[in-house]
Amino acid sequence: MDLLKRLYKWVDVRIGADEVVKKELTGYLLPRNINVWYSMGSVLLVIFSLQVISGMLLLIYYVPDADKAFKSVSYIMNNVPYGWLFRLIHAVGSNMMVLVLLLHMLSVLFMGSYKSPREFNWLTGFILLTLVQGISLTGYLLPWSQLSFWATTVATNSANAIPVAGPYLVEFLRGGKLVGPPTIGRFFALHVAVIPAGIAALIAAHLFVLKRTGVSTPPFGRGDTTNQWKADSYRYEDHPGGIPFFPNYALEDLRSVFIYLAIFLAVVFYYPYLFFPKDAFLPANSLVTPAHIKPEWYFLANYQTLKLFPNELIGLSVQAVAMTFLALLPFIDRGRERHPLKRPLFLACAIGGLLLWIGLSIWGHYS
Amino acid sequence: MRYREKAKLKLSILTVLAVLVAMTMSNTGAHADEIVCISCHGAMPGKYGEPVKLWRGSIHEENGIACNACHGGDPRDAANAMKKERGFLGAPTYNEVPGFCGRCHVGVLKDYLASRHGRALATGGPNCVVCHGNHHVVKASLELINEKSCSRCHSYDRAKLIKGAMQETEGIIVALDSRIEGYKQQGTDTDRLEKELFSLRNRFHSLFHNVDVTKVTAESATIQAELKKLATALNGLDEQRQRRKVGGAVAVAIALAAALLAHLMRKTYE
Repeated sequence: MDLLKRLYKWVDVRIGADEVVKKELTGYLLPRNINVWYSMGSVLLVIFSLQVISGMLLLIYYVPDADKAFKSVSYIMNNVPYGWLFRLIHAVGSNMMVLVLLLHMLSVLFMGSYKSPREFNWLTGFILLTLVQGISLTGYLLPWSQLSFWATTVATNSANAIPVAGPYLVEFLRGGKLVGPPTIGRFFALHVAVIPAGIAALIAAHLFVLKRTGVSTPPFGRGDTTNQWKADSYRYEDHPGGIPFFPNYALEDLRSVFIYLAIFLAVVFYYPYLFFPKDAFLPANSLVTPAHIKPEWYFLANYQTLKLFPNELIGLSVQAVAMTFLALLPFIDRGRERHPLKRPLFLACAIGGLLLWIGLSIWGHYS
Repeated sequence: MRYREKAKLKLSILTVLAVLVAMTMSNTGAHADEIVCISCHGAMPGKYGEPVKLWRGSIHEENGIACNACHGGDPRDAANAMKKERGFLGAPTYNEVPGFCGRCHVGVLKDYLASRHGRALATGGPNCVVCHGNHHVVKASLELINEKSCSRCHSYDRAKLIKGAMQETEGIIVALDSRIEGYKQQGTDTDRLEKELFSLRNRFHSLFHNVDVTKVTAESATIQAELKKLATALNGLDEQRQRRKVGGAVAVAIALAAALLAHLMRKTYE
């Protein structure tokens, strides 16, 4: 113990570690009424880390070549010690990442935490959502299975609906007229280098703006639930008399992380095939179109929306409008009230939108 | 003059836009890599389109065996797909059918030609498609031997005896096939098991054309012993999955215990 203290002192006199600990951990105060939803960000950081680690381990054996990709994934699943575990962690983790990210965004939405001065927090988070969807889509092709091949064919085909640039965009994405060997090279580069770099940069930006604005106070258990921010000058939202991040909230974060891990591991070990239709384990065959190829669950609503309209361009435009509206929400919703029950119009729209998304997803699944 | 030029320019822009809109609306998502036989015949009515409809859902479609595999021709060139110089064979005559199918099913052809059915071909005996159907060819199974089908030509008595002798082994094959398929759908490398079962199934199904009950019974016993080895391999996979689940239960329990510990520690600081 004495040795540890001496070591800490040795470090402290050199880099001022004590000051950093006081400022960023024990002295970093959070609102007293902070709730469990605030720990979703930490859970997401753990998920991202797990994805990076499992992805790196898969990279050791995975071969991004149309002739070898399926066999290399099969080799990982059957011959590499614990390869099956790392593959399932990576594949199930990608789905859980989208799910937890959506929960995180919904909590921010319902607690009105996107409101001024947190427009940047929302925007960086929203871009992160699209990047996470992008990394999932590009990763979907890599096993070069029937599901990968045909889901990518359908997904990239949607871009055809964009006037003038559509066909060029499709060809650019695929590296040819059809999904084929050049596509896997492009998607591999996007999946392991371009998008992860983007995600890392966006996470850094998200944490930076969080540090600059301070953690928002939840609108629950207080009399005044309006947004107190004034647009006259920069102000850090501090919480005098709040609870310290360390050890109090760090332990709450840790509890959420372990609960998440328990659920995640239960899926990995007991229901891993929840996210794998049977075509996921058949090698890609451009001559055999599977009967009911469907995108992943988080793209089902988009898929069904495209089918609802007589023209794909209209379907894409409707989705683009909806996504733009969501991205710009902090600039559109300028009301000061943050408590969801005191915002009936917002609550009705948010629940309606959520139900519509769930309904379209279920419809897409069974259509 | 200037007004006329402007009007021309407007008309050109409108024409380009109309073409683009039409192109967008006509995007039906057809796959160019689909073989031309299916693209053309699939859209045809009556007897020209019927084979494609029948082929869909057949064992051949399931295994990626398309029209050209039997009928020849060039599946990538619509204009020349059915030219003799591209290897197009067309439809075989009644007596040519066994030879047609036997190009791939070599062993089955041999068994068939040695069987009573095969020996009677020249005098109007059944060819392959009489029992197996044409285009909508399903996986060979004991279901093919049934009163309705057999009694079209002769009494069902002898066929019923043969079917009875083969029933048990067929049941084992079907059960093993289903277990292998289950593992395959979980990403397990079942290649070796599939090949062995395929070989044993073929060996067993070659008895279908035989009418010697004693031979069928003896051969079935040998095949069953081989099938038992496959069942043992699958039992090994079952045990491996069970061990993984136990490991999973331990991992989940550790995570829950850690969550509880974090919760209790959090409470002490409250």
